[in-house]
Amino acid sequence: MQAMTRRAAVAALLAAASVAGPAPRVAAEDADRGATLFRYCTQCHGEQGEGNALALAPAIAGLPAWYVERQLEHFRSGIRGRHFDDIAGMRMRPMSLTLRKEGDVAAVAAYVASLPPADPEPTLEGDPARGQQLYATCVACHGADGAGNQQMNAPPLTGSHDWYLERQIQNFRQGIRGADPADTFGALMRPMAMTLPDDQAVRDVVAYIMTLPR
Amino acid sequence: MIERLVASASSYAPDIDGLILLIAVLVGFWFLLTEAVFFWLILRFRARDGQRAEYITGEEKSQKRWITIPHLLVLVCDIFIVVGAVRVWYEVKQHLPEAQQTVRVIGQQWAWSFVHPGPDGRLDTADDIKTVDELHLQKDVTYHFELTSRDVLHSLSIPVFRLRQDAIPGRVIRGWFRPTKTGVHDFQCAEICGIGHGIMAARVIIETPDEHAAWMAEHAPTTSLAAAAVR
Ligand code: HEC
Ligand code: HEC
Ligand SMILES: [Cu+2]
Repeated sequence: MQAMTRRAAVAALLAAASVAGPAPRVAAEDADRGATLFRYCTQCHGEQGEGNALALAPAIAGLPAWYVERQLEHFRSGIRGRHFDDIAGMRMRPMSLTLRKEGDVAAVAAYVASLPPADPEPTLEGDPARGQQLYATCVACHGADGAGNQQMNAPPLTGSHDWYLERQIQNFRQGIRGADPADTFGALMRPMAMTLPDDQAVRDVVAYIMTLPR
Repeated sequence: MIERLVASASSYAPDIDGLILLIAVLVGFWFLLTEAVFFWLILRFRARDGQRAEYITGEEKSQKRWITIPHLLVLVCDIFIVVGAVRVWYEVKQHLPEAQQTVRVIGQQWAWSFVHPGPDGRLDTADDIKTVDELHLQKDVTYHFELTSRDVLHSLSIPVFRLRQDAIPGRVIRGWFRPTKTGVHDFQCAEICGIGHGIMAARVIIETPDEHAAWMAEHAPTTSLAAAAVR
């Protein structure tokens, strides 16, 4: 409980620091710490967090800190990356467990958020026109521009690789992600993924997301 | 004796421990004896005033005996070790007792996953229970395991069972164990397999028949869910 409040305090401090303009020393030290911690992540996510298909690791640069933090916490607790068929998630889970000290997660998340978002090339065959119609369902949470919406807990979708988006939507559909009873946010997304009727629809909506401006 | 230091929980753990103890005692005996002789010689023939050093070629019978007799005795010890080792190797790795249950163990970067037969006792049916990080076993049941890897070399190493077996991608390796005590024990990949190797851990949970049945009842997919998963 105490740990929770302290973590909340750190998060609040960070948030305050980011609006308060000139960064106090605490935030500067935190940024250093985030950069140091991030060196470990570059093994898979790339020097600038631009992702690496061979390592199955998505682009994470520029994802909002609240989302990165939540995913790291989910990996750490096994809400994400502990499903029998989650090949990629099981590669990420042990990495999240290396963030052992209080405040590590917040520090690295803030650093990831500060990186310039990636702009990956499309690699999948899909029909963006059909995808646009299917994307109507997604607008309410992820926004018409795919920039995400913290109020709805929905992350940005632009700046991601299409293979990663496809895999996540399939993971949601198959209950590999978002099916854990403790995953309240995944539970919002899972039924939405179910509205996509088949594999081609998934590729189409992803193809449309790839056309959105970054 | 060894199980006092390292917990043990399989039918063949005492055999392995016995073998290790046999080797430790025989090798330890010769180690202590040779060290004692060595230091005794150093002391006995230490430099003394008025005594010249002598060069010994070691070709006389009385000198060669210092080598030949221990050599033959060590060879006799070797026979005990080899016979013991072959017996234990055959028991643990080569002979496969009839399986009462079969579990599948899958290594991947960087987690262990397991497929347990559900209440029907058979693998590859709708009621299989799939887990990550946790292997659930019933005490006093002879298990076969089918060990595979999804990517690179890993090694299944369960210290309480005194079992270690590499997992090789593209191969299904069959082996066996029989848990003899209830309890929860950690284990850990034992073959360098990438950046996450050091934290590729899992845990074996050995349960009484009642506990195991309860776990199974709680986790076996109901038929409708199983059908949904297959779809
Ligand atoms: C061994 C390779 C590897 C390392 C090292 C690694 N990751 Fe990952 N990470 C992955 C993979 C693979 C995924 C994709 C998981 C999936 O598909 O569900 C991932 C996913 C993520 C996600 C989820 C992205 C999203 O859009 O939901 C975040 C956040 C993340 N990693 C952050 C980190 C951070 C921070 C570090 C450093 C502490 C790190 N990762 C180190 C392999 C790695
Ligand atoms: C009810 C709100 C809602 C709607 C509608 C919705 N999503 Fe989501 N989506 C979420 C939330 C919340 C998450 C974050 C889940 C988590 O934290 O694990 C998410 C996550 C995702 C992710 C994973 C992103 C990542 O970086 O890992 C993808 C991809 C995604 N949504 C695609 C879609 C698509 C495509 C649609 C339309 C078919 C859609 N979403 C509709 C709420 C929604
Ligand atoms: Cu391994």
